[in-house]
Amino acid sequence: MIMWLELMFCFVATVAFGIIFNIPLRLVWWGGLIGMVIWLIYSSLPMYGLSQVYSAAVAAFVAAFTSHWLARFKKVPVTTFTIPGIIPLVPGGRAYSSMLAIVEENYSNGLALGIETLLQAGAIAGGLVFALSIFSIGKGVGQRYETNR
Amino acid sequence: MGKAEQTMAFCLLGGKLMLRYGAETYRVEDTMYRMAKAAGMRNINSFVTLTGIFLAYRTDEGQDYMQMIRVHERYQDLSKVTSVNQVSREFSHGELSIEEATNELTAIEKAPMNYPLWLIYLASGIGGAAFSYLIGKSFPDIFPAFIGGLMTTVTLVLYQKYLKVKFFSEFLAAVSGGLVAVLMSVTGLALNFDQVIIGTLIPLVPGVPLTNSVRDLMSGDLVAGVARGAEAGVTSLSIAAGVVVSLSFLYF
Repeated sequence: MIMWLELMFCFVATVAFGIIFNIPLRLVWWGGLIGMVIWLIYSSLPMYGLSQVYSAAVAAFVAAFTSHWLARFKKVPVTTFTIPGIIPLVPGGRAYSSMLAIVEENYSNGLALGIETLLQAGAIAGGLVFALSIFSIGKGVGQRYETNR
Repeated sequence: MGKAEQTMAFCLLGGKLMLRYGAETYRVEDTMYRMAKAAGMRNINSFVTLTGIFLAYRTDEGQDYMQMIRVHERYQDLSKVTSVNQVSREFSHGELSIEEATNELTAIEKAPMNYPLWLIYLASGIGGAAFSYLIGKSFPDIFPAFIGGLMTTVTLVLYQKYLKVKFFSEFLAAVSGGLVAVLMSVTGLALNFDQVIIGTLIPLVPGVPLTNSVRDLMSGDLVAGVARGAEAGVTSLSIAAGVVVSLSFLYF
């Protein structure tokens, strides 16, 4: 019951962010669906003992993977789905508490929370990069050794 | 105007619109390449950074053309990116002539925003309220978070309109939104202050530069990727500084 309420709020939040980023009306609903799916993953994985950062990475990967697939299907730029899709994962709460700790001159606590915030941001980026790598196999740029001569 | 000049103006207009409204660097380069190729040019090279576009090609007669334009403003309007993408797709498939495609691009450039401003204000209020519930799980604080998110975007648009300074207006919007949240907490309207202030500030998150920075770094556009990362970082820092300023009023 509570879970359904959360999923509904996540759908509303993602659609609202789609409107903030001026995404066409026919596409915002898909962004909302992606938001719902990744909130389900992000909030249910910690119940199985995984860390918050790890769940964020998995959720970001799923969001980016679904977005690429949908973008190919709908023939639109992929950012119209990824940008609102990863908004629910933004570590706003941690960033705020880290700043609050620094304002209260509790620097070690603030630093620890700040590092957690940075780790979660990195996890989101990692998930995005991983999905992108899968979708650009064979199309990427060369690196290090020129083997095809 | 010859065909080469016409193609140059058309490609640069498409690239400028995409870059200005928040497309990734590789997409801008790729779109201009495809459009120039469909117009029959050879030896096409495009180089795009966050703030400028270079395009060079050779015509069938062996004449070289090269031009660069500077893109000063950057907005977040992904519906225009989608429309330019559609025009370029139709042009590359030969469904549009170059005159028709140029007219469509000009229409996209002149068109107003996809959503009216009041809907964007409302959406940032609703987004802030819904996000604050996800973070804090407290029902009575949804309404203060709605007011906070609404005020943040209203003040951001006002400051950007009259001051026209990017990072400073984000800082001032964070201060104003934070002050509204502090005021609501002092008067007892907001019970869970953390939740309200997160809902207030979440519409300011630099989503477009963050996502595009990762994408650009991955596709090898290192200059644009680092530049976008820096843009996102400075925006986040100005928001953080704004929150700290308004929080210090609470501890005054």
